Amino acid sequence: MALIELKNLTYHYPLTNSPALQDLDLEVQEGEFLAIVGANGAGKSTLCYTISGFIPHFFKGELAGSVSVAGIDPTKAGLGEFVQKVGLVFQNPFNQISGSKFTVYEEIAFGLENLGIDPAEMRERVDEIIRLTRIEDLKDRSPYALSGGQQQRVALASILVMRPQILVLDEPTSQLDPIGSQEVFQVIKDMALQGMTIIMAEHKVEWVAEFADRILALSAGQAIKLGTPREVLGSPELPEHGIGISRYTQVARKALQAGLWPEKRSMPVTLDECVQGFQEIIA
Amino acid sequence: MPDRLSFFIPRESRVHSLNPLTKLALAFSLIILAFFGPGLFLPVALYFFVLVPLSLLGKVGKEFLQTSFRLLLPLFAFLFVMQSLFYPGGETVIFSFWIFSATSEGVVFAFRTATRILVMVSSFLLLLLTTHPSTLMNDLSRRGVPASLSYIITSTLQIIPQMQARAVTIQDAQRSRGLDTGGNLINRIRSLLPLVGPLVFSSLVDVEERAIAIEARAFTLPVKKTSLIDIPDSRGEAVLRWVMAALSLMTIGYRIWLSLN
Repeated sequence: MALIELKNLTYHYPLTNSPALQDLDLEVQEGEFLAIVGANGAGKSTLCYTISGFIPHFFKGELAGSVSVAGIDPTKAGLGEFVQKVGLVFQNPFNQISGSKFTVYEEIAFGLENLGIDPAEMRERVDEIIRLTRIEDLKDRSPYALSGGQQQRVALASILVMRPQILVLDEPTSQLDPIGSQEVFQVIKDMALQGMTIIMAEHKVEWVAEFADRILALSAGQAIKLGTPREVLGSPELPEHGIGISRYTQVARKALQAGLWPEKRSMPVTLDECVQGFQEIIA
Repeated sequence: MPDRLSFFIPRESRVHSLNPLTKLALAFSLIILAFFGPGLFLPVALYFFVLVPLSLLGKVGKEFLQTSFRLLLPLFAFLFVMQSLFYPGGETVIFSFWIFSATSEGVVFAFRTATRILVMVSSFLLLLLTTHPSTLMNDLSRRGVPASLSYIITSTLQIIPQMQARAVTIQDAQRSRGLDTGGNLINRIRSLLPLVGPLVFSSLVDVEERAIAIEARAFTLPVKKTSLIDIPDSRGEAVLRWVMAALSLMTIGYRIWLSLN
């Protein structure tokens, strides 16, 4: 059985008539990195909230179909079970700071205090995660005195320290500057390389193309494409659904029109594939 | 953004290392003594012979005196003028001019009220100067105060500077689109009105995300929470707290006995 299984999932937010997600089927295996792309309002956040249990436990509304996440069925289990297995990090770094702690170190320990972890183990785990997320230099500062990128890494650390089985990221870099985004992506990459199961909604397709195992493209609450980055991002209908295509694909398309791209070669989605194509035509 | 968001001054002292509950008990029992204890001069004595020495022992004497004077002097000046002139039932006139006359009953009443307020404010000031808010809250929730209550208190301490910063941003944005925020008092007050809407509504939107964030960190999980910071407590301090509680009860008992006779 897959780690995450959604069958025929349809969800309406309270007091709405059109579904935010419609007839969605999805299976994610353990250790997989799945990226979700889609225009604003396509249902990316809704899907993230469903996998992390906030739908239907925090946002009420109407959920049809079946959901199973790490063996948890939301109709039988509460949010408490979900938060111990699934970690959620979202866009706004500022709002993810708990607000009750005065240093980054205490902030990261907040989740462990709530889980009732013994203080000695707590310190070990916090130290370890501070090292992994490269925020040693921030640990004694106030979480509010940090830049967006730093805050987002603290938010990531605060979730990772709870050792979730699945990490759900809802556009974690959309409010960050390029350097902040890079630092956050680096941490996510490290986690993916360690074999953590990651679900990530993200607009930056170049990055997603490089690191995701599979991509799910959503439009108006429905899955329009699910497959490897090349299968999904190379498909010509994406722009119709308001999904940006990789700048490497754009370059290759222009090159193809100008006769500068090997005709048998498929459209590239990453920098490496793009460079290989040009090397082939030069040779 | 300032790193320091509370009154707390981090220093090494005997007062700092006391358990927060002991300091809280001390504050409450001093207040009870000042309000219900015998004698006109008891509150002043408590201030000069208990609170001031403790603030010196806690190495926060300067900040303690400065802050208490700044907070209370204007209030006391007002209190003395109003009460000595307008205290109802004042008969013994000390001096009078034009249609006003100051009575000694009024002066005594003002003195009593002012010194009680002095003890009330400064005993909490001593607590706040020498106790980190998160230490206090951690200790209280460890002793059974609901975690949500201590969360509300500590997050409010943190949120005030955030709200101020946001208010400045909103006002700057409005000014850059031509809102006149200068000029006389009335104009300044009027220019605050357009600030209220955006400030309140954006804060309400944040509340939902904040709720998701702390929920994601297992805040409402029904297990016994642990605490990162170990807060020292001793037998001696526990005894001290019981003594203070007994003293407070005796003071209240004395007051009730007085009013019954």
